[in-house]
Amino acid sequence: MKKKLLALMLSAVMVVSMGAITVQAEESVSADDIEDTMTSDDGTYEIAFVTDVGSLKDKSFNEGTWNGVKLYAAENGLSYKYYQPANESEATDDDRYDAMAAACEAGAKVVVCAGYLQEAALTQAAIDYPDVQFVFIDGYTLYNGDDALANVAGINFQEEQCGYFAGYAVVMEGFTELGFSGGGGGTNPACCRYGYGFVQGANDAAAALGTTVNINYSWLYGSSYSASAELQTMVSGWYTNGTEVVFACGGAMFSSIAAAASANDGYVIGVDVDQSSESDTVITSAMKGLAAATEYAIGVYYDGEWDTLGGTTTTLGAADGAVGLPTDTWSMENFTADDYAELLAEVVDGTLVVDNDYESADLTGFENAVVTIVE
Amino acid sequence: MTFLIQQTLLYAVPLMIVALAGVFAERSGIINLALEGIMIFGAFTGVFFVNVVQQAGWFAAAKDNGNWIALQGFEILAILVAALCGAIFSLLLAFAAINLKADQTISGTALNLLAPALVLFLIRILANQSTLYMSEGDAASWFMIKKTTLGFDRTADIGALGEIFINKVYLATYLCILVYIILSVLLYKTRFGLRLRSCGENPQAADSLGINVYRMRYAGTIISGALAGMGGFVYALTTANCSANGDVAGFGFLALAVMIFGNWKPGNIAGAALLFGLFKCIAASYASIDINGDGVYMLAQIGLSSNFYRMLPYLITMVVLAFTSKKSRAPKAEGVPYDKGQR
Repeated sequence: MKKKLLALMLSAVMVVSMGAITVQAEESVSADDIEDTMTSDDGTYEIAFVTDVGSLKDKSFNEGTWNGVKLYAAENGLSYKYYQPANESEATDDDRYDAMAAACEAGAKVVVCAGYLQEAALTQAAIDYPDVQFVFIDGYTLYNGDDALANVAGINFQEEQCGYFAGYAVVMEGFTELGFSGGGGGTNPACCRYGYGFVQGANDAAAALGTTVNINYSWLYGSSYSASAELQTMVSGWYTNGTEVVFACGGAMFSSIAAAASANDGYVIGVDVDQSSESDTVITSAMKGLAAATEYAIGVYYDGEWDTLGGTTTTLGAADGAVGLPTDTWSMENFTADDYAELLAEVVDGTLVVDNDYESADLTGFENAVVTIVE
Repeated sequence: MTFLIQQTLLYAVPLMIVALAGVFAERSGIINLALEGIMIFGAFTGVFFVNVVQQAGWFAAAKDNGNWIALQGFEILAILVAALCGAIFSLLLAFAAINLKADQTISGTALNLLAPALVLFLIRILANQSTLYMSEGDAASWFMIKKTTLGFDRTADIGALGEIFINKVYLATYLCILVYIILSVLLYKTRFGLRLRSCGENPQAADSLGINVYRMRYAGTIISGALAGMGGFVYALTTANCSANGDVAGFGFLALAVMIFGNWKPGNIAGAALLFGLFKCIAASYASIDINGDGVYMLAQIGLSSNFYRMLPYLITMVVLAFTSKKSRAPKAEGVPYDKGQR
């Protein structure tokens, strides 16, 4: 009897699922089509990538940067390899240095290092391997004593701008109960800029509409940029209490927040890359052009113009087309792509300046945005 | 209140089922310290199964058409796979403890060390990252039962009980409770259960009455493995968005504590699991818990440090164990390899 029941159940399941073959649209070369691991003939790898904390395929910061590496390498037929510092989210400076040294020893000409946490290790590696060029994503100029290291190119983004766009857009869309859940425990400058910009954008939009919005603002459960049951429970609690949209600002934390949103019919704002394909709950994403910037910096080296980047800090913002919202994939109705274009133009031409000094900012001092810091 | 009850259940159910896993092993005379390891392994295999089936596209049409019954079937299949793999994994412990008469504490610990390493290794090979996720979508959109899935309108009033028990729930939760009840009855009200328990109290006497102690201990350990594997996957599904990363946040060890606190008795264990589930839930979301629905978040306003709330589940474990462990009585022959020659 039991067997019959099981067989019945199984066959029912199979009938239901028949004809479930999905057809995938053909795309031009996308980074996902390029293998993450390649084997070079001589065992050397010209372009190397050292990951930040969190996994390589975090569908966010690491993966966005890595896509830039892969795209450049594939288009130009170069060898590439990624290195993950040992000990995952507890990686020490030594672990990171070891990963960089391994990259250099394996014949790397350009090493892309993602994340401000790599500063100490990168400084040492740049001194020890002066002939290797380093691209420091989310980074800045590094110094050996008083001298800028000419083989390090710091590239960072004006995250406050796309955070601002996201906050402005969702409030204009009609949401009044917002949330921000950031990674790095409040120590990551990029996440802090995103969050500060988000609050400013929400505040300005609320002022324009003559309303007040509430924002839950939290760094809890995000210190290692990973998904966790606690994070999911906390954010579920927010949604249950009326929060409508949460800005998921920290790599793989997205998974927990999207799950909570999906369970409660809420919305999520993605970060760093367009995350709309990850979940139906994504209403828009605060993007920065990680892949493009990485490709660009590597290209500068191969064009023999490294001097223009090396030893300097390059800050990319809306004016460079490096940050923004993906209007093609967003699911907003009241705030249109034209409205966004207007807003973007104001930021580009400088009539609207988004403050990025999060350290001296008082988040609870906004008139139209009541920020509750959850800690 | 609804939120608190639902989240408490989400945390309590895996604990409960894994604690029952511990009971089955120990009642048959095998100390199963490897619960944590088996949970990790079960979570991994369940998530891997979901991932592979999603990639094969077998349930894509059901998902698109909103055929939630098929999706629940998918969920049950994944749970069965996790249970099966948990049972297989526990055979390692059974073989070491029963056939080789190895020290059960040490072999259990070895499995606990093996499981996360093995799982991380496999995830790295399979997914090239440190966490294995579903291939597409999220756990809630695929497997969660909401009132909209059941045909109610999103704003329909289904009463407080309806909100708690049929809106935003997982079938897995109820399946676990059902399995829990059935197996508790099996252990206490059937001949098989009596024989199994006798092997944990006095295997020599059981053997003299013609019960095959080795077979009974194998049965106890395998059931234990299946339950722990199932519990691991249910934990991953309901609280971790159906992802596996070689970690179940110490739930296997908490389950051991729950089992001891529950004095190896199903009723007490269920109560203990609910207690821990409640505090675990409070720890994660104390700031958004509105107990009586008046818009005042009392726990957040008391002004205690958030670290205090996060310590609570573990503090409670220690306090409760300190008070109850005096009265607790473990199965007499647990941990002692059965030796036919010894009378």
